[in-house]
Amino acid sequence: MWAVRFEDVSKRFRHGGPRYSSLRQDLADVHRRVTARLRRRRAEPQGTLALDQVSFEVEAGDSVALIGANGAGKSTALRLVSRITTPTRGRVRVRGRVGALIEVGSGVHPELSGRENVWLYGSILGIPRREIASRFDEIVSFADLEPVIDTQVKYYSSGMQLRLGFAIAAHLEPDVFVVDEALAVGDASFQAKCVERMTSMVTSGRTLIFVSHSLPIVQELCPTAVLLDRGRVAAAGPTAGVVAEYVDRLADSVRREPSPGDLLEISRLNARSPAGDHRLKTNGTLVLEVDLTAAQDLDDVLFGVALSDGRLSNLIELNTRFTVGATPIRRGRHRLVCEVPSLPLLPGTYEVWFAASSARKAVHFLHPRVIGTVVVTTGPPERRLAAHYATSTAFGPVYVPFEMALEQHDGAPAAAGGPMTVDAHEQSG
Amino acid sequence: MTRADADVASAPPSVRSELVIEGTHRVRAGRSLADLWHYREVLRSFTSRTIRLKYKQALLGVSWAVLQPLAFLALFVIFFGRLAGVSGGGVPYAAFALSALVPWQFVANGLSFGTNALVQDAALIRKVYFPRELPVLGAVAATLVDLLIGVAVFLAVGPFIGAHLGVALLYIPLVTVTLTISVTALCIPLAALNVYYRDFRYALPLLIQLGLFASPVAYPVSSIPEQWRTLYALLNPFVGSLEGFRRVLALDQAPDWGLLGLSLVSALVVLVVGYRVFKGLEPEFSDVI
Repeated sequence: MWAVRFEDVSKRFRHGGPRYSSLRQDLADVHRRVTARLRRRRAEPQGTLALDQVSFEVEAGDSVALIGANGAGKSTALRLVSRITTPTRGRVRVRGRVGALIEVGSGVHPELSGRENVWLYGSILGIPRREIASRFDEIVSFADLEPVIDTQVKYYSSGMQLRLGFAIAAHLEPDVFVVDEALAVGDASFQAKCVERMTSMVTSGRTLIFVSHSLPIVQELCPTAVLLDRGRVAAAGPTAGVVAEYVDRLADSVRREPSPGDLLEISRLNARSPAGDHRLKTNGTLVLEVDLTAAQDLDDVLFGVALSDGRLSNLIELNTRFTVGATPIRRGRHRLVCEVPSLPLLPGTYEVWFAASSARKAVHFLHPRVIGTVVVTTGPPERRLAAHYATSTAFGPVYVPFEMALEQHDGAPAAAGGPMTVDAHEQSG
Repeated sequence: MTRADADVASAPPSVRSELVIEGTHRVRAGRSLADLWHYREVLRSFTSRTIRLKYKQALLGVSWAVLQPLAFLALFVIFFGRLAGVSGGGVPYAAFALSALVPWQFVANGLSFGTNALVQDAALIRKVYFPRELPVLGAVAATLVDLLIGVAVFLAVGPFIGAHLGVALLYIPLVTVTLTISVTALCIPLAALNVYYRDFRYALPLLIQLGLFASPVAYPVSSIPEQWRTLYALLNPFVGSLEGFRRVLALDQAPDWGLLGLSLVSALVVLVVGYRVFKGLEPEFSDVI
């Protein structure tokens, strides 16, 4: 039996995205439509289609991931299920109470105290008063805000505000549970708590719809997945297959946004394993193939490829400056092949930056920009796929194998030799 | 999509009813009212929050509810009572003016809080579902508290400024209800339009100022020529209730039933039309706010 059903759902945003208009602008729009009607033609609908005739079903008790690139329509789908917005065409049917674990934090009211906010938000999210009363302490301790619960929220740090909003939402007991990626809120221990909470909801048989870019956590939590691509359902079914489809699309596609003055043009990026597929492993080999076309002969080109996880600086810089130095390139088409024997990145999605510059002059033949994506799907075997490291921004994305040992230095005989796991609570003191 | 795990079926979620989410622009009054009833607790939360917020950081706190009409009263007594020589119709001008200024203050504050209610709660509307009428109703309900304070103050000072307090005071709940209906009826479409066009935010203070002079606050209804009074009460849904407050508070008379009925009809028409406007715009609130 289904719990959520999308029936031919389309959603169009009027002005290309959420924003408000002025009366003047809309009067102009009315004029446009009236003149179109007078000429006996239908006005072209304006705005952008976030979802385009989307149909899928979520079984009761199942947990389903919505995956896809930015702007694919994932968040819009969640907003429809949680009734925040309504479809332009088609309908969404839901059986049971929907709860959304989204960050209501930014809607927390600054002038009210933490305590007042718990009551206000609890009731807005549909938690009955006696339930809030009985779970109040639990919510406050989940958010870790006991000492400041009677302080006005405007004196909270932004992290505290988000934790408060999340803690309230996390204590809903809905039939259908809707979670947006915004889960990456707060510090690592708070994230771990949220994931734990989600996992327990899933195991207790609730329906989960989960939006995430984090493929490891999707694979861990959701047996089924739906891939959205520019507002359409591109694949649906068991997660492994859908994720593979997504990774194939990501790893073998190039973003073409040439900037003026570029003498090189990129036509294809393929991030693959030596076997030729797109399933990359932590500490496995990465092969990057970049197909490019030179507009003219150039005699001193430095190629730079960099991987980034979206933070300000790059994680890994691969530059011919460090190896073969300046390379000449003739007019025409070329393939640049770059091999990293052991890629020290944990599972995740990484941006590929590319640039080409002159070795002698401060000139770019191709200005630095993101040309595509590398997806690491499989983590190191010695680290079980614990959900918290996959979502956490507190842990870095770089992984290196290591050993750690504890030696006693006050004269007493050392414990049995060899590497050991360190547990700070047991070993200290 | 079927999950292979058989144990899931052993713990099926409680399925109360099926909810259909579609972008209808039709008003389904029954469904909307049922939804409002279901979320009545949230209305209480919105109301109490608005009351708290209103006075939380105000130095003078709740006394603003008293000071506002008193300040207008001073102005009115000087300009209309003394300079323009408007008659109080049997009672001193101060009692005459204050008895309508107290409910007028409710109209003015209710309209301005109610119209901005949705925009104020934009952050919530973008993130959570609740019937979108609630912030508006909460704002009006919170302002109603000010009216009750104002009426209490009038009852306290009334005897000293020459008001005739008597049995007619029993009509207070009735005129309060009719006035609240009028204020709510206007707030609902204005709040919805304000989501789309912030023009309303700037136009509203002007409209309220004009409304003060288009309503029988500084002057008696009797100064409107007899043949225009019906039209006056139909065009301005506040006339009957404001005049009602004046008779009940200051003159110890029952409300003018004719005027009250006309204003009520006018308010109900505004309510029905306004609610359709609201419901028509509602599906896209969270996208444009």
